[in-house]
Amino acid sequence: MKQIRLGDIAIFIVSIAIIAFSLGRFTDFSGEPQVHVRTDGGEFIYDLGVDAFATFNGPVGETSIEIKDGKVHVHDSDCRNKVCISAGWVSRVGDWIICLPNNVFVLIEGAVAQETGGVDDTAF
Amino acid sequence: MTRHSDSRLRSTVIRVEFVALLAALALFLSTVEYLIPKPVPFMRIGLANLPLIIGLGLLHEREYLLLALLKILGQGLVTGTIFSYIILFSFGGTVSSAFIMFLLYRYGRRYVSLVGISIAGAMASNITQLQLSRVILFGDAARFIAPPFLMVGFATSIVLGLFAERFVSRSSWYAEHAQQEHLA
Repeated sequence: MKQIRLGDIAIFIVSIAIIAFSLGRFTDFSGEPQVHVRTDGGEFIYDLGVDAFATFNGPVGETSIEIKDGKVHVHDSDCRNKVCISAGWVSRVGDWIICLPNNVFVLIEGAVAQETGGVDDTAF
Repeated sequence: MTRHSDSRLRSTVIRVEFVALLAALALFLSTVEYLIPKPVPFMRIGLANLPLIIGLGLLHEREYLLLALLKILGQGLVTGTIFSYIILFSFGGTVSSAFIMFLLYRYGRRYVSLVGISIAGAMASNITQLQLSRVILFGDAARFIAPPFLMVGFATSIVLGLFAERFVSRSSWYAEHAQQEHLA
Protein backbone atom coordinates (compact mmCIF):
# COMPACT_ATOMS: atom_id res chain seq x y z
CA MET A 1 0.00 0.00 0.00
CA LYS A 2 2.82 2.36 0.72
CA GLN A 3 5.22 1.94 -2.13
CA ILE A 4 5.05 3.89 -5.35
CA ARG A 5 3.35 1.92 -8.10
CA LEU A 6 3.47 1.82 -11.86
CA GLY A 7 0.37 4.02 -12.25
CA ASP A 8 1.91 6.64 -9.99
CA ILE A 9 4.96 6.86 -12.20
CA ALA A 10 2.78 7.07 -15.31
CA ILE A 11 0.67 9.86 -13.81
CA PHE A 12 3.81 11.63 -12.64
CA ILE A 13 5.38 11.55 -16.11
CA VAL A 14 2.19 12.63 -17.87
CA SER A 15 1.82 15.54 -15.43
CA ILE A 16 5.42 16.63 -15.98
CA ALA A 17 4.83 16.43 -19.74
CA ILE A 18 1.72 18.61 -19.47
CA ILE A 19 3.61 21.18 -17.38
CA ALA A 20 6.53 21.14 -19.83
CA PHE A 21 4.08 21.68 -22.67
CA SER A 22 2.49 24.63 -20.87
CA LEU A 23 5.96 26.07 -20.24
CA GLY A 24 6.83 25.69 -23.90
CA ARG A 25 3.79 27.74 -24.83
CA PHE A 26 4.61 30.17 -22.08
CA THR A 27 7.99 31.15 -23.50
CA ASP A 28 6.71 31.51 -27.03
CA PHE A 29 6.97 35.26 -27.44
CA SER A 30 9.24 37.86 -28.96
CA GLY A 31 9.44 41.54 -29.82
CA GLU A 32 8.79 44.76 -27.94
CA PRO A 33 6.71 44.34 -24.79
CA GLN A 34 3.18 45.66 -24.86
CA VAL A 35 0.64 45.93 -22.09
CA HIS A 36 -2.58 44.18 -23.00
CA VAL A 37 -5.57 44.98 -20.84
CA ARG A 38 -8.60 42.74 -21.27
CA THR A 39 -11.78 44.03 -19.74
CA ASP A 40 -15.52 43.77 -20.12
CA GLY A 41 -15.26 46.65 -22.55
CA GLY A 42 -12.78 44.92 -24.82
CA GLU A 43 -9.03 44.69 -25.14
CA PHE A 44 -6.69 47.68 -24.90
CA ILE A 45 -3.03 47.71 -25.86
CA TYR A 46 -0.39 50.09 -24.53
CA ASP A 47 3.30 50.43 -25.22
CA LEU A 48 5.23 49.50 -22.10
CA GLY A 49 7.86 52.14 -22.95
CA VAL A 50 5.39 55.02 -22.89
CA ASP A 51 4.13 56.29 -19.55
CA ALA A 52 0.35 56.16 -19.33
CA PHE A 53 -2.55 56.09 -16.94
CA ALA A 54 -5.87 54.49 -17.83
CA THR A 55 -9.10 53.56 -16.10
CA PHE A 56 -11.36 50.65 -17.02
CA ASN A 57 -14.90 49.79 -16.04
CA GLY A 58 -15.88 46.35 -14.82
CA PRO A 59 -18.67 44.57 -12.94
CA VAL A 60 -17.78 46.05 -9.52
CA GLY A 61 -16.50 49.47 -10.53
CA GLU A 62 -13.37 51.07 -11.86
CA THR A 63 -9.85 49.70 -12.11
CA SER A 64 -7.02 52.00 -13.06
CA ILE A 65 -3.57 51.03 -14.21
CA GLU A 66 -0.41 53.08 -14.43
CA ILE A 67 2.52 52.55 -16.79
CA LYS A 68 5.77 54.21 -15.75
CA ASP A 69 9.45 53.62 -16.52
CA GLY A 70 8.76 50.42 -18.42
CA LYS A 71 6.67 48.92 -15.63
CA VAL A 72 2.96 48.60 -15.05
CA HIS A 73 0.84 48.23 -11.94
CA VAL A 74 -2.76 48.48 -10.86
CA HIS A 75 -3.05 51.90 -9.26
CA ASP A 76 -6.51 51.52 -7.81
CA SER A 77 -9.46 49.16 -8.04
CA ASP A 78 -12.94 49.02 -6.59
CA CYS A 79 -12.71 45.33 -5.82
CA ARG A 80 -12.87 43.91 -2.32
CA ASN A 81 -9.61 42.02 -1.94
CA LYS A 82 -7.22 44.42 -3.69
CA VAL A 83 -5.13 41.44 -4.75
CA CYS A 84 -4.39 43.21 -8.02
CA ILE A 85 -2.98 46.28 -6.28
CA SER A 86 -0.82 44.23 -3.93
CA ALA A 87 0.60 42.41 -6.94
CA GLY A 88 2.75 45.50 -7.41
CA TRP A 89 4.76 46.47 -10.47
CA VAL A 90 5.43 44.04 -13.29
CA SER A 91 7.71 44.60 -16.25
CA ARG A 92 8.67 41.36 -17.98
CA VAL A 93 6.99 39.73 -20.95
CA GLY A 94 4.63 37.07 -19.63
CA ASP A 95 4.00 38.88 -16.34
CA TRP A 96 0.38 39.52 -15.55
CA ILE A 97 -1.94 41.03 -12.97
CA ILE A 98 -5.56 40.07 -12.59
CA CYS A 99 -8.45 41.75 -10.89
CA LEU A 100 -10.85 38.85 -10.94
CA PRO A 101 -13.87 40.54 -9.33
CA ASN A 102 -13.70 43.40 -11.81
CA ASN A 103 -12.72 41.19 -14.73
CA VAL A 104 -9.63 43.20 -15.62
CA PHE A 105 -6.66 41.25 -16.90
CA VAL A 106 -3.35 43.05 -17.41
CA LEU A 107 -0.77 41.10 -19.36
CA ILE A 108 2.61 42.03 -20.82
CA GLU A 109 3.03 40.42 -24.18
CA GLY A 110 5.72 40.53 -26.80
CA ALA A 111 4.35 42.22 -29.87
CA VAL A 112 4.04 39.82 -32.79
CA ALA A 113 4.81 40.69 -36.38
CA GLN A 114 1.21 41.20 -37.46
CA GLU A 115 0.70 43.90 -34.88
CA THR A 116 3.84 45.92 -35.55
CA GLY A 117 5.33 45.05 -38.91
CA GLY A 118 2.38 45.53 -41.17
CA VAL A 119 1.66 43.62 -44.33
CA ASP A 120 4.98 43.86 -46.13
CA ASP A 121 6.93 41.52 -43.91
CA THR A 122 4.97 38.47 -44.80
CA ALA A 123 2.96 39.28 -47.93
CA PHE A 124 4.22 38.09 -51.29
CA MET B 1 -37.10 -6.22 7.46
CA THR B 2 -34.47 -8.92 7.23
CA ARG B 3 -31.28 -8.87 9.16
CA HIS B 4 -29.36 -8.42 5.94
CA SER B 5 -31.16 -5.28 4.78
CA ASP B 6 -31.05 -3.97 8.31
CA SER B 7 -27.26 -4.08 8.34
CA ARG B 8 -27.19 -2.55 4.89
CA LEU B 9 -29.34 0.29 6.11
CA ARG B 10 -27.07 0.80 9.05
CA SER B 11 -23.98 0.92 6.87
CA THR B 12 -25.70 3.48 4.62
CA VAL B 13 -26.42 5.63 7.64
CA ILE B 14 -22.79 5.35 8.71
CA ARG B 15 -21.62 6.39 5.26
CA VAL B 16 -23.91 9.42 5.32
CA GLU B 17 -22.23 10.32 8.59
CA PHE B 18 -18.90 10.05 6.81
CA VAL B 19 -20.17 12.45 4.16
CA ALA B 20 -21.13 14.92 6.86
CA LEU B 21 -17.80 14.51 8.64
CA LEU B 22 -15.70 14.82 5.50
CA ALA B 23 -17.77 17.75 4.20
CA ALA B 24 -17.22 19.51 7.52
CA LEU B 25 -13.51 18.83 7.16
CA ALA B 26 -13.61 20.24 3.63
CA LEU B 27 -15.36 23.36 4.92
CA PHE B 28 -12.71 23.81 7.58
CA LEU B 29 -9.85 23.24 5.15
CA SER B 30 -11.44 25.66 2.67
CA THR B 31 -11.30 28.26 5.43
CA VAL B 32 -7.64 27.51 6.11
CA GLU B 33 -6.93 27.64 2.39
CA TYR B 34 -8.70 30.98 2.10
CA LEU B 35 -6.52 32.44 4.84
CA ILE B 36 -3.32 31.69 2.92
CA PRO B 37 -2.44 34.61 0.65
CA LYS B 38 -2.17 33.79 -3.04
CA PRO B 39 -1.40 35.90 -6.10
CA VAL B 40 -4.58 34.83 -7.86
CA PRO B 41 -7.85 34.21 -6.03
CA PHE B 42 -8.59 30.89 -7.65
CA MET B 43 -5.06 29.52 -7.49
CA ARG B 44 -5.46 26.72 -4.99
CA ILE B 45 -3.25 24.64 -2.78
CA GLY B 46 -6.03 22.08 -2.79
CA LEU B 47 -6.25 21.47 0.94
CA ALA B 48 -9.98 20.90 0.65
CA ASN B 49 -9.26 18.07 -1.73
CA LEU B 50 -8.00 15.97 1.17
CA PRO B 51 -11.46 14.83 2.35
CA LEU B 52 -12.21 13.76 -1.21
CA ILE B 53 -9.06 11.61 -1.29
CA ILE B 54 -9.78 10.06 2.08
CA GLY B 55 -13.43 9.56 1.16
CA LEU B 56 -12.46 7.35 -1.76
CA GLY B 57 -12.13 4.30 0.44
CA LEU B 58 -15.21 5.02 2.54
CA LEU B 59 -17.99 6.10 0.20
CA HIS B 60 -20.06 4.79 -2.68
CA GLU B 61 -20.67 6.74 -5.89
CA ARG B 62 -23.67 8.73 -4.71
CA GLU B 63 -22.22 9.70 -1.36
CA TYR B 64 -18.98 10.62 -3.06
CA LEU B 65 -20.80 12.88 -5.49
CA LEU B 66 -22.70 14.40 -2.58
CA LEU B 67 -19.41 15.06 -0.78
CA ALA B 68 -18.00 16.74 -3.89
CA LEU B 69 -21.07 18.99 -4.19
CA LEU B 70 -20.91 19.86 -0.49
CA LYS B 71 -17.24 20.74 -0.89
CA ILE B 72 -18.12 23.15 -3.72
CA LEU B 73 -20.88 24.64 -1.59
CA GLY B 74 -18.52 25.01 1.37
CA GLN B 75 -15.83 26.66 -0.74
CA GLY B 76 -18.38 29.03 -2.20
CA LEU B 77 -19.60 29.96 1.27
CA VAL B 78 -16.14 30.51 2.70
CA THR B 79 -14.78 32.52 -0.21
CA GLY B 80 -18.03 34.40 -0.74
CA THR B 81 -18.14 33.46 -4.41
CA ILE B 82 -21.19 31.25 -4.18
CA PHE B 83 -23.45 33.59 -6.15
CA SER B 84 -20.85 34.76 -8.64
CA TYR B 85 -19.52 33.19 -11.81
CA ILE B 86 -16.32 32.27 -9.96
CA ILE B 87 -18.20 29.33 -8.43
CA LEU B 88 -18.06 27.83 -11.93
CA PHE B 89 -14.32 27.36 -11.52
CA SER B 90 -14.80 25.65 -8.20
CA PHE B 91 -17.54 23.48 -9.66
CA GLY B 92 -15.65 22.50 -12.78
CA GLY B 93 -12.44 21.79 -10.91
CA THR B 94 -13.98 19.76 -8.12
CA VAL B 95 -16.30 17.71 -10.32
CA SER B 96 -13.60 16.78 -12.83
CA SER B 97 -11.08 15.97 -10.12
CA ALA B 98 -13.62 13.91 -8.13
CA PHE B 99 -14.59 12.07 -11.31
CA ILE B 100 -11.00 11.22 -12.24
CA MET B 101 -10.04 10.24 -8.70
CA PHE B 102 -13.09 8.04 -8.25
CA LEU B 103 -12.51 6.22 -11.54
CA LEU B 104 -8.81 5.74 -10.77
CA TYR B 105 -9.60 4.39 -7.32
CA ARG B 106 -12.39 2.13 -8.48
CA TYR B 107 -10.65 0.63 -11.48
CA GLY B 108 -6.95 1.30 -10.95
CA ARG B 109 -6.44 0.75 -7.23
CA ARG B 110 -3.93 -2.03 -7.86
CA TYR B 111 -1.70 0.12 -10.01
CA VAL B 112 -1.91 3.51 -8.41
CA SER B 113 -1.49 4.81 -4.85
CA LEU B 114 -3.25 7.77 -3.33
CA VAL B 115 -0.28 9.92 -4.34
CA GLY B 116 -0.89 9.23 -8.03
CA ILE B 117 -4.62 9.68 -7.55
CA SER B 118 -4.03 13.00 -5.82
CA ILE B 119 -1.78 14.24 -8.64
CA ALA B 120 -4.25 13.13 -11.30
CA GLY B 121 -7.09 14.84 -9.44
CA ALA B 122 -5.15 18.09 -9.11
CA MET B 123 -4.14 18.06 -12.76
CA ALA B 124 -7.73 17.35 -13.85
CA SER B 125 -9.00 20.16 -11.65
CA ASN B 126 -6.38 22.67 -12.82
CA ILE B 127 -6.70 21.82 -16.50
CA THR B 128 -10.47 22.14 -16.28
CA GLN B 129 -10.15 25.50 -14.54
CA LEU B 130 -7.61 26.69 -17.10
CA GLN B 131 -9.93 25.72 -19.94
CA LEU B 132 -12.79 27.50 -18.18
CA SER B 133 -10.64 30.61 -17.76
CA ARG B 134 -9.74 30.40 -21.43
CA VAL B 135 -13.41 30.38 -22.37
CA ILE B 136 -14.75 32.81 -19.76
CA LEU B 137 -11.96 35.25 -18.96
CA PHE B 138 -8.66 35.37 -20.72
CA GLY B 139 -8.94 33.77 -24.11
CA ASP B 140 -5.65 32.52 -25.50
CA ALA B 141 -3.70 34.38 -22.82
CA ALA B 142 -4.66 31.59 -20.41
CA ARG B 143 -1.40 29.99 -21.48
CA PHE B 144 0.51 32.56 -19.42
CA ILE B 145 -1.31 31.47 -16.31
CA ALA B 146 -1.00 27.77 -17.01
CA PRO B 147 2.60 26.99 -15.91
CA PRO B 148 2.56 28.42 -12.37
CA PHE B 149 -0.98 27.19 -11.87
CA LEU B 150 -0.13 23.63 -12.91
CA MET B 151 3.19 23.55 -11.05
CA VAL B 152 1.72 24.69 -7.75
CA GLY B 153 -1.08 22.14 -8.04
CA PHE B 154 1.36 19.41 -8.97
CA ALA B 155 3.63 20.09 -6.00
CA THR B 156 0.89 20.45 -3.40
CA SER B 157 -1.00 17.41 -4.67
CA ILE B 158 2.07 15.22 -4.07
CA VAL B 159 2.27 16.43 -0.48
CA LEU B 160 -1.47 15.94 0.03
CA GLY B 161 -1.30 12.49 -1.55
CA LEU B 162 1.54 11.44 0.74
CA PHE B 163 -0.39 12.72 3.72
CA ALA B 164 -3.54 10.88 2.66
CA GLU B 165 -1.59 7.67 2.07
CA ARG B 166 -0.06 7.94 5.50
CA PHE B 167 -3.39 8.68 7.13
CA VAL B 168 -5.10 5.79 5.40
CA SER B 169 -2.39 3.31 6.36
CA ARG B 170 -2.22 4.43 9.98
CA SER B 171 -5.71 5.46 11.04
CA SER B 172 -7.49 2.68 12.91
CA TRP B 173 -10.73 4.59 12.39
CA TYR B 174 -10.22 4.45 8.65
CA ALA B 175 -9.13 0.81 8.71
CA GLU B 176 -12.22 -0.21 10.63
CA HIS B 177 -14.67 1.53 8.35
CA ALA B 178 -12.95 0.96 5.04
CA GLN B 179 -13.05 -2.78 5.71
CA GLN B 180 -16.73 -2.70 6.52
CA GLU B 181 -17.55 -1.51 3.05
CA HIS B 182 -17.25 -3.99 0.25
CA LEU B 183 -15.68 -1.69 -2.25
CA ALA B 184 -14.01 -2.91 -5.36
